[in-house]
Amino acid sequence: MLAALMKKEVLALARDVHGLAALFLMPLIFIIVMSLALKNLYGQPQRALTYAVIAQDDGPLARSLLNTWQQAHGAPQPLPADWQRALRAGDLEYVLVMQMGLSEELALPSLPTQPYIQLLVEPAVDGNLFNALRAELSGAAGELKARTALAAIGATPQSATASMQTLIHGARFTGTLPRAANGAFNFNSLSNGALPNGAPSNGESNGESSGALSGGSPRPSAVQQNVPAWLVFGMFFVVAALANLFVEERSTGALARLQSLGVPRSVLLVSKALPYLGVNALQATLMLSVGVWLMPLLGGEALSLVGISWGALILALLAVSLAAVGMALALACAVRTHAQAAAIGPIANILMAAIGGIMVPKFVMPPFMQRLAELSPMNWGLEALLSVLLRGGGPMSVLPHAARLSGFALLMFVIALALFQRSAR
Amino acid sequence: MLTINHLGYRYPHTPTTALEDVSLTAQRGGVLGLLGPNGAGKTTLISHLGGLLKVQQGEIVIDGKSLAAVRAQTPTRIAVAPQEYAFYPMLSVAENLACFAAAGRLHGQRRRARITACLGFAQLERFADARAEHLSGGLKRRLNLAIALLPEPELLLFDEPTVGVDPQSRAFILDAIKTLAREGAAVIYTSHYMDEIEAIADQVVILDHGRVLRAGALDELLAQDAMVLTLAADGIAPEALIEQLSRFGTVEKFGARLRVRLNTTPAIALAALDAAGAHVREAEFGRGNLEQLFMSLTRRSLRD
Repeated sequence: MLAALMKKEVLALARDVHGLAALFLMPLIFIIVMSLALKNLYGQPQRALTYAVIAQDDGPLARSLLNTWQQAHGAPQPLPADWQRALRAGDLEYVLVMQMGLSEELALPSLPTQPYIQLLVEPAVDGNLFNALRAELSGAAGELKARTALAAIGATPQSATASMQTLIHGARFTGTLPRAANGAFNFNSLSNGALPNGAPSNGESNGESSGALSGGSPRPSAVQQNVPAWLVFGMFFVVAALANLFVEERSTGALARLQSLGVPRSVLLVSKALPYLGVNALQATLMLSVGVWLMPLLGGEALSLVGISWGALILALLAVSLAAVGMALALACAVRTHAQAAAIGPIANILMAAIGGIMVPKFVMPPFMQRLAELSPMNWGLEALLSVLLRGGGPMSVLPHAARLSGFALLMFVIALALFQRSAR
Repeated sequence: MLTINHLGYRYPHTPTTALEDVSLTAQRGGVLGLLGPNGAGKTTLISHLGGLLKVQQGEIVIDGKSLAAVRAQTPTRIAVAPQEYAFYPMLSVAENLACFAAAGRLHGQRRRARITACLGFAQLERFADARAEHLSGGLKRRLNLAIALLPEPELLLFDEPTVGVDPQSRAFILDAIKTLAREGAAVIYTSHYMDEIEAIADQVVILDHGRVLRAGALDELLAQDAMVLTLAADGIAPEALIEQLSRFGTVEKFGARLRVRLNTTPAIALAALDAAGAHVREAEFGRGNLEQLFMSLTRRSLRD
């Protein structure tokens, strides 16, 4: 009986073109579009901005500073005659004004007391980007001043590769530090720039190395963030497909007929839940495949599954799937019409996605919104997947999220059963 | 086979009862016609038998056992063919039958045999692979019927099974249901088409406002109106015609005709009209009409 009822669900879904599009095409498009659109968010966007220079100071140190800047940011655009309009309109993203006296100031063995460089950015540049530009410019000017001061006091000439940049090594830490013989942590092993499993480093020019000393999880990228986010979103979209067939069954009397044949309500609900767990598994396979193989072909970065815990990934996906299907059953039992099914499910999904860090990453939210995000089951699912795909987490790190999702799924199933029984009375 | 005693039911949060003190019986080999205007309580009664509502008052007994016990043990002894197309439009005829056969706990060879038999009974073999949503209204009704017959139920409930079908399909469905009764099933048949009930039912129950207004054998019910003469006449003023007829019984208007419950023979009444110069255009006597009985019992006011 259960197999026949499950087959009916699968056939009904397979013949519902709109339902299939919502389940498979919609999250796929989101992954591709959002990953490409946010490609630079997780890189160093300030390196690709268009800029122009007003060099009022043509002294050697001002030229040296400009040369250093160009090495990292490429050649500036020719300064347009109406550069102020171009900057306001966003045709130029910033303009560097090197004012008269800059070279003299850089040559002085003292800290500056007034500005000699104007960093003018177009109005739409966000605060983080503005601060990154300002800090980078300040660092470059400071290093030049230090080099000049060291040369003036006759210090040993610096090697070409020596720089203040080498003082700091930054890494996104996902593994564990080994201990030296004396028991101290071996921090030096962090800066070797290669992952222990032999995967090449994605090391970036500002001294950030990717991944961990052990565990080898990949560095954050738009793909690495967007695939799990929109996968979770897509998995929860089983709500609409499941609810639509349920409404159809109720309105045609097919559901009453099944009940009059003595099919228990719990069997009816399970016969709906199991096929959609399968649908979620297919979605996950498809979306991860898109991240791994399709995104690089489209010019994006590839999703890296190197070194992840597959057990943890399967646990996270199963928990998300249980929660999504549980919620779908509860909503399906709550709605009465196709219009309700078509509206309530997607609206609930979009709200959960908006507050749950799917549409906007949680780390850019203010603290209040971050606390709110933690109420969304989509956020639990996203955090579970991110802990596997980004943080190199194993099953134990996924377990708290999986437990919450499973508890939510159980609650939803109980609610679905209660609503189903009430509607039949 | 089926006995309903003093059944009462009130939906939650409603001031009036949907069923009140309803009693009836349905026997194997017979068709019980269930009549009633919209809102009379027919669907509530059918929902009880389909296991969708629990008995609040009274009892429903099948072969001496309570309905609840029978449904718990063998729910497929009773089948409901609802008014709606209660199947999956996106599935083919064969897929629908397979799904409901499995839901009715039919397995293996028996399942295949029943699907084949029901396809044949409803003459749907040619449409086995057609999607249900693409079938005509008549074919959909036949699929509804075929699904109901899958588990070989002993008690069948048909809720307006001929709505929206052509005369050929209607005749086919009525013949099929009569065959089922002849083969030993107990059938309860609801319809708004009085001629269908007259053609198919042995027993009739007329429900209104949740109560049984009249119940009995069809022939007995119709015989109660045996002394009614219905006629239309020309060549005489309507008032004069009524005055003439009033001498032989109570007269009431029935559309363009007059109905007289006679206290004498029809020959005497017709002779008197002839003497008064009336030319009787049409006259009907000797058997009542179910529609007349139904309308006289349920009144003519609209129900929804």
